[in-house]
Amino acid sequence: MNNAAKKIGRRHFLKLLAGAYGYATLGSPGFVSAQTQRYGKLADTTRCIGCKRCMSACKRWNKLEVERNELVSDRETDLSSQNWVVVNLRADAKNLTQRIYEHWACQHCIQPACAGVCPVKAITKLPMGNVVINEKKCIGCRYCYQACPYKVPRFDFEKRITRKCHLCYDRIPLLNYMKPACVEACPVEALSFGYKHEIILEAKKRIYKERNARYILGLKEAGGTDMLTILPTQPENLGLIVAPQKMINHNLDKLRITGAGFMGASALAGLMYTYATLTQGKEKKNRDSSD
Amino acid sequence: MERSPAFYVWVSILVAVAGLALYAILMSLIYSLEVFEFSIHVIWVTMVSNYVFLVVSSTGLCIVTSLGHVFGMERYELIGRRGVFLALITIIFGMISIGAHLGHPERAMIFNLLTPNFYSAMWWMGALYTLYIVFIGIEYWLLARNDLNERSEQVEGLGKTIYGLLAIKKLDNSRLNAVLKDHKLLQFVGAAALISGLSAHNTLGALFGHIEARPLWHGSYYPIYFLLSASFCGYAWLLAVSIATYKIKKENIPEDYRSLIFEMAQVLALLLSAGLLFTAYKLGFGLFTPEKVKPIMLFLKGPFSQAFWLFEIAIGTILPIPILLWATKQKNIIGVLIASVMVLVGVYVMRYDFVVAAQVYPVIKNGLPSYLPTFMEVIFIGGVLGALFLTYVLGDKFLPLKEERHH
Repeated sequence: MNNAAKKIGRRHFLKLLAGAYGYATLGSPGFVSAQTQRYGKLADTTRCIGCKRCMSACKRWNKLEVERNELVSDRETDLSSQNWVVVNLRADAKNLTQRIYEHWACQHCIQPACAGVCPVKAITKLPMGNVVINEKKCIGCRYCYQACPYKVPRFDFEKRITRKCHLCYDRIPLLNYMKPACVEACPVEALSFGYKHEIILEAKKRIYKERNARYILGLKEAGGTDMLTILPTQPENLGLIVAPQKMINHNLDKLRITGAGFMGASALAGLMYTYATLTQGKEKKNRDSSD
Repeated sequence: MERSPAFYVWVSILVAVAGLALYAILMSLIYSLEVFEFSIHVIWVTMVSNYVFLVVSSTGLCIVTSLGHVFGMERYELIGRRGVFLALITIIFGMISIGAHLGHPERAMIFNLLTPNFYSAMWWMGALYTLYIVFIGIEYWLLARNDLNERSEQVEGLGKTIYGLLAIKKLDNSRLNAVLKDHKLLQFVGAAALISGLSAHNTLGALFGHIEARPLWHGSYYPIYFLLSASFCGYAWLLAVSIATYKIKKENIPEDYRSLIFEMAQVLALLLSAGLLFTAYKLGFGLFTPEKVKPIMLFLKGPFSQAFWLFEIAIGTILPIPILLWATKQKNIIGVLIASVMVLVGVYVMRYDFVVAAQVYPVIKNGLPSYLPTFMEVIFIGGVLGALFLTYVLGDKFLPLKEERHH
């Protein structure tokens, strides 16, 4: 083994140190707290039977409206301000005989893009893992909807705010560590809830053991999410929105874009100055002729 | 002050149109925002594109006018008052447009102060535009103060009091008066307005540029392009509005302003050609970036192709260039007017496409998109633009806007 290649020189070390410092100051503030013990939710689509009990439990706990026939099995439902969790039948595009019920809700990203763009800090990533919208603070600008790679926060036209699943933050710590309403309601244990590291282990175990489970959604997508979904195939085959496998809306990326804009603005000011100085002669001529 | 029937006809038409926006806002407050029937997927619609259009215009007008009293080009000082007044009213109506779009504008005012998120471009945009409004307001006041004073002496009764209040006559005998009359102060305030305006505009572009989940918006292209489009939008506004005002009022254009019009027309043509290069870059770069190909194709031959090729490219950019050059050569004022109106129409459609197309992809699947502005939205937008022109007509009547040398 070549040890010389691994050796870090002084200059390299200083560079790394400067980089780490920059990352710590510019990186999102939630980065450090996200490393502590968090909870996670696991949805196993290979076990789900599509009974939609999770949907109804969610609506009951969060006092959301139920539309007619919405909870009928196999009926296509979309996320909305009153639907924080949906269950839909999906077919594998490459193998049409393969059909699954997909349990879809907020993915509770480790580095939530929605929280990063909210102008008034109405969205927070709690240390427990939940990404929660403060409904008394939301100004209803819908910027979070635009920034979310999964398009989860939906606008409530009546209340004029954005609403979404908060992973029952009001159940977990208060009521004797109860599970989220949807997890509690699942009759076939397709949903499970626990510490994030245990959930990851469980998901990997199932991938290893069970024939149908092939893909864990949420390990890398959008920089990792606290909700994991076990799929029988790649998410794009099921028609799900595919998020890039990296952190979304990193603050350094934001800085790069804003910086480029400021360079453009300076260039524009420079051009205006040049225009003014180049045509100064014309100005003088005009003044002389008018005199 | 002369009273012409045409003025009253204009004002009553515009009041009626502005009333529509008021009706739409009232309905949305009484019932819910649902009266606008937004699509749940295309959630930023015409109100946002209207806002973007108006604030782009305002920054553009600020850029053009600051050539005069910031960069010291005396001939541009002619357009100072009209330009700055237009910049002020476009930004105010832009803010009204976005205010009606927000769910809770009142909370925005409170929590932007209490819990700011410095990582959010939207916060910066709000803060910088607030600063910008203050500076541009002071700038107009400084430009118009002398004339307001003069007018207060010319008229009697209520008019005298109002003009006196607007000019803050009390300051005349104070020590501040010398400072207020100094050109340096105007230059300083103008520079502050320009810097805050450019920064705010940059953050507006960055607001869209930051969103990685929308491939069309993401990147540093839009913050830079917005600045360029602001410049040509500012020139187009100033040319269109001032020429139209002179034509409608059947007044003669002063000779020195006439020569400036043709110079501005040439600069506008140059800026439009630069804009064309930027668009070519956007298309070329987009087609070679895998995640941008699909949204770009929406423009090239998708549902937005008509708006893109006909309005953005033909009417908004390519056709005005030869018209402007021809009009400059022939000294044809109407040609300049037509070309600048074409540019404004093109820019308006461009903003609409820019806002809506990015949201259509990648969310709406299967047969996209069937999105069209709803009736209430059209009423609202028409009303806001009507109110904008109403304010301009009233401003033109009662405030000093004319192209005269500033002393």
